[in-house]
Amino acid sequence: MSPVSWLSSHLGLPDWLLRPILAPLVYPGLLAFMPVALFIIWAERKVTARVQMRVGPLYVSRRLGGVLQLLADGVRIAFQEVIVPETAEKYSFMLAPIAAFSLVAATFTVVPGGPGVYGFDSNISLLIAYALISLSPIVTVVMGWASNNKFSQIGAGREIIVSIAGEVTLLASLLAAAMMYGSMSFNAIVEAQNDAGIPGIVANPVAALLFFIAVLLITDRVPFDLVLGEQEIVQGPYTEYTGILFALTMALDYAKLYVLMLMFTNVFLGGWMPFNTPLIGSLCVFTKTLVLMLISVFLRSVYGRMRLDQVAYLFWARLLPLALAAFSLSAVMHFLYR
Amino acid sequence: MASAVSPGMEVRRIGGSQDGRVIELYIGAQHPASGHMRLIVYLDGDVIVRVDPDIGYVHRTMEKLAETREYVRVISLLERMTIIDSCNITLPYVEAVEKLLGVEPPPRARYLRTILCEINRIASHLYGLGIGGIFLNHSTMYMWAFGDREVFLHLASLLTGARLTHTYSVFGGVRRDLPRLFIDEFSKAKRYMLKRLRDYDKLFFNNPVIRGRLEGVGVLKPQRAVELGVTGPNLRASGVRYDARLTGYAAYGELDFKPVVGKEGDALERIWVRLREIEVSLDLIEQAIRSLPEGPIFHERFTKTIPPAVRHWLAKGRIKLPGGYVRLKTRPGEVFTRAEMGHGEVTYYLVSDGGIKPYRLRVVTPSARNVVLFDELARGHTLMDLPAIYGSLDYFPPEADR
Repeated sequence: MSPVSWLSSHLGLPDWLLRPILAPLVYPGLLAFMPVALFIIWAERKVTARVQMRVGPLYVSRRLGGVLQLLADGVRIAFQEVIVPETAEKYSFMLAPIAAFSLVAATFTVVPGGPGVYGFDSNISLLIAYALISLSPIVTVVMGWASNNKFSQIGAGREIIVSIAGEVTLLASLLAAAMMYGSMSFNAIVEAQNDAGIPGIVANPVAALLFFIAVLLITDRVPFDLVLGEQEIVQGPYTEYTGILFALTMALDYAKLYVLMLMFTNVFLGGWMPFNTPLIGSLCVFTKTLVLMLISVFLRSVYGRMRLDQVAYLFWARLLPLALAAFSLSAVMHFLYR
Repeated sequence: MASAVSPGMEVRRIGGSQDGRVIELYIGAQHPASGHMRLIVYLDGDVIVRVDPDIGYVHRTMEKLAETREYVRVISLLERMTIIDSCNITLPYVEAVEKLLGVEPPPRARYLRTILCEINRIASHLYGLGIGGIFLNHSTMYMWAFGDREVFLHLASLLTGARLTHTYSVFGGVRRDLPRLFIDEFSKAKRYMLKRLRDYDKLFFNNPVIRGRLEGVGVLKPQRAVELGVTGPNLRASGVRYDARLTGYAAYGELDFKPVVGKEGDALERIWVRLREIEVSLDLIEQAIRSLPEGPIFHERFTKTIPPAVRHWLAKGRIKLPGGYVRLKTRPGEVFTRAEMGHGEVTYYLVSDGGIKPYRLRVVTPSARNVVLFDELARGHTLMDLPAIYGSLDYFPPEADR
């Protein structure tokens, strides 16, 4: 008996109602996201420090190598006063980070975290996940506008340019993958890879590359962290945020990174391949996602920030034509997953 | 004739003439990438129309304070202008006073000054490269440059006993002789730094993202550079062969020295000139150590007056300044001296009325001359190019504000 059906029989709730609640809140959702964020931010700082001849976070929990540093920071930030500027649009200013984070959390309902571990299965779950992810930039623009600060507004403008460029590439690579597997359901896609025994990244590396680069742009990773752009616009749309709301805006990018890398694992790395039991399969998905996130945060120690026009050029003029190549590759590779 | 125009009026004038398109952005004084200054940027969309560098946030009245202190006490005051380059910035002042005193430093002292000046120059360039790196959000370059700068601070502290404010050159010589350990430590440092420079080239200078940010950004034509009175690596990157070291002060006249000259004049070239100047400086130090003359490090006129109780320090290569040193009287006159710092050329104009304090001391620092470039180079570029330009200029606000 799976844990979900055990819980549903005890609570007297139907299975189909419990699943979409548990998925975003427990696994692969927020409860799992906490240690992920803790670990990834720590690993990001630690790896970068290693490259840069420093020690990184160390003094909070010295024996664990400073892994609890973020927890300490989080506690501090949670008790910090939330300052709402006089000139800000109060309600949209305060609600926007919560709305953006909820949108990203809602994405976990459709992205499976293991074999049989999902909120609900639909034959368009790929599109639902994409739609929910691409809604959050609109809320980010609301944040920038509501802050009523020039840096925030410039940051919001950048968010518009950047997210459109990124999402077109993301959608193109997702559709190329869907075309290859002949399905838009995450579960069916993973099963198709399981049956064929070939992960999608081998069959269509172009689409996988496009997806990865687009994720870097959407989640503001270096070298595409233009929306944050500390050296020009302080913290972009999040400049005016303090306390717990600031923590939410910061966690937003990491949550997006987590869910998008989860999607990458399912679509291109064969999800829980080669395991099929719920527990081991979930662990497998989780580990693959963590490794992907580590790769994406490592880029911080190699690259600087690209200029806005260069990013736009890269995505529209270089990567979008590459998406056509991904589509044609999918058409050829389709026979693998029949 | 310039009239007082408040920034707000200016934006209304420019904005009004372009249907209110221009907005005014205050970058600083509280900003992650403004330094001790404020940049008032006028933006038409994302394009910079004009930049007003608002300087003076760290003005410390150096010139006026110099008039209230005895000659030797002015040295440690002037160091505070550019704490990262303190030997270079005080050397012309020391030479000016020496001219008025009629004292010629012994050759060994001149060579030791050169060695410290070049160590300072490397440290200053590394500082500038680090800041240039973080302005492009390249945190690794930032940390690397600041970490490797420690090597040269260590060398400086071996030579002088202090990491930053050395007060090493004093009238008539230098305070300390070269320790024996220094030569070994320097050859280690040189090997290490040359290896690191290759790493910098790989990870930073030839990084496609960084090249994309710097190439063709903020191009300064040689003609324009000369007109604006730009100085230092920023001038040489434009292809003008001028370096104050060519005038041969300290021991530069006796060493084989060729300035690094670029040609493009863009931000990338300015970074390149700094990277290559580090190599040249390493070579200069080695030359200076090799041809270091034997002899005293302090002028005889002052050595004589050192009291017997502290005379034994002389044998250990240390100078305990004699009591009368603080009340030195110069002959009345005016002297003009210059030196090449890490940031560019610094000039001093010293007027003496024959007293124990300077009558007037005029300092023109390289950053004060380079500040004009913010507006000149940034116009027509996007807001994202502003940090790239700022980082490539190696501008140091405390030095410009004096």
